[in-house]
Amino acid sequence: MIELFHIWKQYQKPYWALSDVTLQIDDGDFYFITGPSGSGKTTLLRTIFREILPTEGQILINGINILKIHDNRIYTLRRTMGIVFQDFRLMFHRTVFDNVAVPLQVVGVGRKEIRRRVFNTLQKVNLHQKMWELPAHLSYGEQQRVAIARAVVNNPEIILADEPTGNLDPELAFEIVTLFKEFNKQGATVIIGSHDRELIRHFGDNILFLQKGKIVGKEAHG
Amino acid sequence: MIEKVKFFLRLTGNNLWQFRTRNLFSVTIICLSFLTVGIFMSLSNNLRDTARELSSNMSVAFYLEPGLSPAAADAIRQEISRPAFVESVKSVTPAEALERFRTSFPELADIVAGLKGNPFPPSLELRVNAKASASKEVVAFVEGMKKRPGVTDVLFNQDWVEKMQGFSRLAGAIGAFLGGILILTSFFIISNVVKLNVFARKNEIEILRMVGGTNLFIRIPFWLEGITLGLLGSLLSLGLLFIVIRLFPVYLGASLGALQELLRFRYPDLTQAIALLCGGAATGFIGSATSVSKFLKV
Repeated sequence: MIELFHIWKQYQKPYWALSDVTLQIDDGDFYFITGPSGSGKTTLLRTIFREILPTEGQILINGINILKIHDNRIYTLRRTMGIVFQDFRLMFHRTVFDNVAVPLQVVGVGRKEIRRRVFNTLQKVNLHQKMWELPAHLSYGEQQRVAIARAVVNNPEIILADEPTGNLDPELAFEIVTLFKEFNKQGATVIIGSHDRELIRHFGDNILFLQKGKIVGKEAHG
Repeated sequence: MIEKVKFFLRLTGNNLWQFRTRNLFSVTIICLSFLTVGIFMSLSNNLRDTARELSSNMSVAFYLEPGLSPAAADAIRQEISRPAFVESVKSVTPAEALERFRTSFPELADIVAGLKGNPFPPSLELRVNAKASASKEVVAFVEGMKKRPGVTDVLFNQDWVEKMQGFSRLAGAIGAFLGGILILTSFFIISNVVKLNVFARKNEIEILRMVGGTNLFIRIPFWLEGITLGLLGSLLSLGLLFIVIRLFPVYLGASLGALQELLRFRYPDLTQAIALLCGGAATGFIGSATSVSKFLKV
């Protein structure tokens, strides 16, 4: 369970990127965070990922206050999450396999096990046949699927995605969110930041509306 | 654990290959730095060994007054045989001295043939044992004997021994100084090369942090790269040093004439070779570690 209590975030005075955000996301939820550009979607996701610290407030994940985790121990939190960015953030000089294997290598999984799990995950995103190719040789949609595979290969409890379909055409965007939905069905809590209304209307179980850093609305269709 | 070691080694290999031009440049600089240290070390080895050889063969020649009575000469011989540092004393007659001169300088045979008498005085040759060579005790004894009636002159090669020892120390110091500067240079070069590598792999580092990589996990490949570059550089310098030592007498040594003996290089011993390799690895490690801790805020 993810709990946010009165989160405030200020990068620069007098603007608040997040103001008094209080939110509870249960295990296995599928959430869309939406709002116009600059509404605080990315800041909220980065705060949950503990990439940035809020100016005020508390965040509990499974009862643990993640803001109290020492900088040197953040990796323990990150290993329970998978994150996907709009710009994919892939290692372009490494193969698809190497990119997806990184989270497993970090935790010291054996080589055979890595091969098995990377292959299975790539099969889920339908990229197993391009395992040994370089990401530069893949389409945008395929690159995003590599990023998703990397985010889920470790079976994370939480998947965060910041505008994962921002660079993709509507058809590919639909395909990508369907993938997230699949992983959600397998038990992962998924939080997607997006401003694509069409997608949100189609997939949104829970929708959180942000404007100027404030929660201005919530919808639950689940 | 083994999997992790294999992973780091593979990653280091890939990274070294990826930035091979830049890495080759640092290996070359390290190699040249350590080659300079090696050359002076080998030169210093030679001078030190020469000084040691001279010390162990140190002799003192006491020239006696021509026409000195056998009893007086024997008294002097008794006197110089007494100190504990004396290994042996040998009498050399004027005829023996002339014969030695003829043998040592055959090209001057004409001059010797033209002499009316024998110009060489009788002498006593004293050999000092190796432990006492050039010690203060020997020097004081020789100085005392110079004033003794019946002794006209004393020839003592202590100066040579001291000069050799001085040259050896000087060569060592020059090597340490130049090598030190060059090693410092290579340290900064490695540091900058690693810094460039860190910048070039910023995206990768970001990804490693994102997926839960620890600081150590991110830093180890950079450390290994530094150590590998340092080791490769010093290993190459050791190889080149052996080639220089082998080829020097063939191409340059002959033109140096008498100096050839002094400027001869000697192979570094095993301890020195290991020290060079460890020095290279340490330079690489320190260079990369400082750079990584400065520019890799994780």
